[in-house]
Amino acid sequence: MLRNYLKIALKVLLRRKFFTAISLFGISLTLVVLMVTTALFDHVFAPHPPETRLDRTLGIYTLRLEGEGSRSSGFPGYAFLEQTARDLPGAERMTIYSLQQRAVSYPDRRKVLSWLKRTDGEFWNVLDFRFVEGGPFTAEDEANGHFVAVINETTRERFFGPDTQAVGRPIELDGQRYRVVGVVEDVPFLRFSAFADVWVPISTKASTAYRHEIRGGFQALILAESEEAKPLIREELQSRVADFQFPDPDEFQVAYTGADTLFEALSRMLLPEAAHQAQPGRLLTILLTMAVLFMVLPAVNLTNLNLSRILERTSEIGVRKAFGGSTRELVGQFLVENVVLTLLGGAIGLALSALALGAIEESGLIPYAELTLNPRIFLWGLAMALFFAVLSGVYPAWRMARMSPVRALRGRSA
Amino acid sequence: MIRHLLKLAWNRKRANALILVEIFFSFLVVFAVALQAVYLWTNLRRPLGFDVEDAWTVTMEMDRPADEDATRRQIETFARVLREAERLDRVERVAGAMVVPYSDESRTEGLSKEPETGTAPPPVSVEIDEVTDGFADVVDLDLVSGRWFEPADAALAWMPVVLDLEAARVLFGDEDPVGRWLAQEPDRPRRRVVGVVSDFRQHGELSGPQPYMFERVSVTEPSHRTPRNLVLKMAPGTTADYEEAILARLRGVAPEWTFGVKALDVVRGTNLRLRVIPLGAVALIAAFLLAMVALGLTGVLWQNVVQRTREIGLRRANGATRTAIHRQVVGELLMMTTSAVVLGTLLVVQLPILELLGSLSPEVFSAALAVALTLIYALTAVCALYPSWMAGRVQPAEALRWE
Repeated sequence: MLRNYLKIALKVLLRRKFFTAISLFGISLTLVVLMVTTALFDHVFAPHPPETRLDRTLGIYTLRLEGEGSRSSGFPGYAFLEQTARDLPGAERMTIYSLQQRAVSYPDRRKVLSWLKRTDGEFWNVLDFRFVEGGPFTAEDEANGHFVAVINETTRERFFGPDTQAVGRPIELDGQRYRVVGVVEDVPFLRFSAFADVWVPISTKASTAYRHEIRGGFQALILAESEEAKPLIREELQSRVADFQFPDPDEFQVAYTGADTLFEALSRMLLPEAAHQAQPGRLLTILLTMAVLFMVLPAVNLTNLNLSRILERTSEIGVRKAFGGSTRELVGQFLVENVVLTLLGGAIGLALSALALGAIEESGLIPYAELTLNPRIFLWGLAMALFFAVLSGVYPAWRMARMSPVRALRGRSA
Repeated sequence: MIRHLLKLAWNRKRANALILVEIFFSFLVVFAVALQAVYLWTNLRRPLGFDVEDAWTVTMEMDRPADEDATRRQIETFARVLREAERLDRVERVAGAMVVPYSDESRTEGLSKEPETGTAPPPVSVEIDEVTDGFADVVDLDLVSGRWFEPADAALAWMPVVLDLEAARVLFGDEDPVGRWLAQEPDRPRRRVVGVVSDFRQHGELSGPQPYMFERVSVTEPSHRTPRNLVLKMAPGTTADYEEAILARLRGVAPEWTFGVKALDVVRGTNLRLRVIPLGAVALIAAFLLAMVALGLTGVLWQNVVQRTREIGLRRANGATRTAIHRQVVGELLMMTTSAVVLGTLLVVQLPILELLGSLSPEVFSAALAVALTLIYALTAVCALYPSWMAGRVQPAEALRWE
């Protein structure tokens, strides 16, 4: 029976090539947009090396300070993180690192800009970098202010040429000379916590004033002992932040931050009302609403086309009904047709998405982006395609079910 | 005629409702894109207020000074850096600035004029840059009235400020701002307007008008905050490899600071790209959506015509001309478009009514509405062309026989 339906479906689709083409165009285009968005989302939020243990990772990403008449939204300072995030119960490891900044070098009188991140030794234990050469620097290097650097493969090629070893060789950044101790695989730009071209110890900073700063330029990652330990960490951090003693109480009196997941931190940054308390649910609602709004137009368009396709076949439906075809059978047949069409569009959409993601990768808009259609995204795409098929098929099917056979036989739809 | 069309459309209300919904949502999409496009277009045509040709910027990272003493030492170091930069052979003019043109950073303050009598008017938000005397020459500010800062200002007991035209308008209205005072903040020196420059849009060509004010930084005043940037006017034709020489010299003066050099027109390019790329992506998606709608509408109308062959044939047999049939098909669609855009317009005019426009002016809003209406009517008219031509070719004899 199903095979028969499939056969009929293909025949019908081939008979009205124009309609089929428009439907396929609409379905595949919509899916391309949704899949590219999903792929970018996955690229930022899903676990990828070096952030492989995201389920156990919390971060202190933002800091909002408020005082009488003055407020500041930004990033925590080193001193703030030292005092609040060190030795939290339930935490296995903790690392403090700076936001990446541009550093300039002139190897062989060429100008090279690199993203420089300053980290402590624990950084390499919290995150799971893949070394192609050498190894990380240690907590000792950081404590003693050794001028050592870990670089990524692209930086190695930029400074030392293709297919060379870099460990042990000097590299100059912003006028400071470092010794390369390790080379890691490139990290995508959008993995903000891990990303950089060059990683060096925090203590190589030109001045030590950062040790007393409450705000500015640093973040911390906390690796929990287990997923169950996360609420404990969050609570303890909140109570420490509430008790935080400001060195200059005239300027600010209250601090707001939290041990967040990336998405929670994003909600703090994007939503003004989430400045005090992360609101991931609200952000998710907004994003989903936008996605649904975007899908409305293609869905209405498809419903319209499907309806036209049905109305055109009123006499066929009349004959089927007159010979005892039940409404269920007819609706089933129509939905199968619709699903076939949508899956076809889905396949085209997948291929086009792969092309689009490749183009974004090629364009260099997002440095070191690796946007691939992994199985997770594929399943998302499939689910979206089926959702579309059902969504755009329900109303036409309902109309079909209500057609009276007598009138349908005469070619009248109503 | 219109009444008749209305009746025909009402008879087929269920089929038409979906088309109406489709046009309604298309209108919303077109309007959203048009709003952005018109806004950017009007911004692009405004005067920018500065020129960054051959201008470079040196960003300086330094620690926040912990006390008064550190503040004084910092501004002294800055004075030495400024002198050193002036001595470079390819640098023509030099100035210091807290933020530079095309940068994303900004400092805003709520300001109001000092009233002659009574209380100060409610404050308006003004963006502020702190610059040294050379700034006007490096980025070619266009002085409209009054004067720019000069070294003799160091002796004043008050702080001289220069407004841009937009700030002069929002703070002083039609009055001449030169020589007027700003309402004083507690613990801060009084500020007095000495000059007005043409609109200054720090965030670049695509940004909207924003009141802007310059405060004077003096390198001889120990309490002044140190500017975080230098702007350099380079000799024409200086190439990027000169950056290294600049950095080496400046690091020699202030080894504890971190320096970075960029040409401002490169910064400008990055700034434009960052704003244009997301819009381009949205516009591209919208264009595809509309193409899809256009094809879909054509298909549905075509189907309508095929279904109504007998009706059309009957009209032809009764003596209706081809033109009359064309007019019927196009007219029906235009009528539906009108109903859809009336609904859409009712929805979008809630924006200005509920004051949700933000920085968008009513002119931009109405222009965008006009653009969106034109585009939607053009789109639906094009969609009706082929089906109406098909309807016109219906032969009455064949049509009446059709089953």
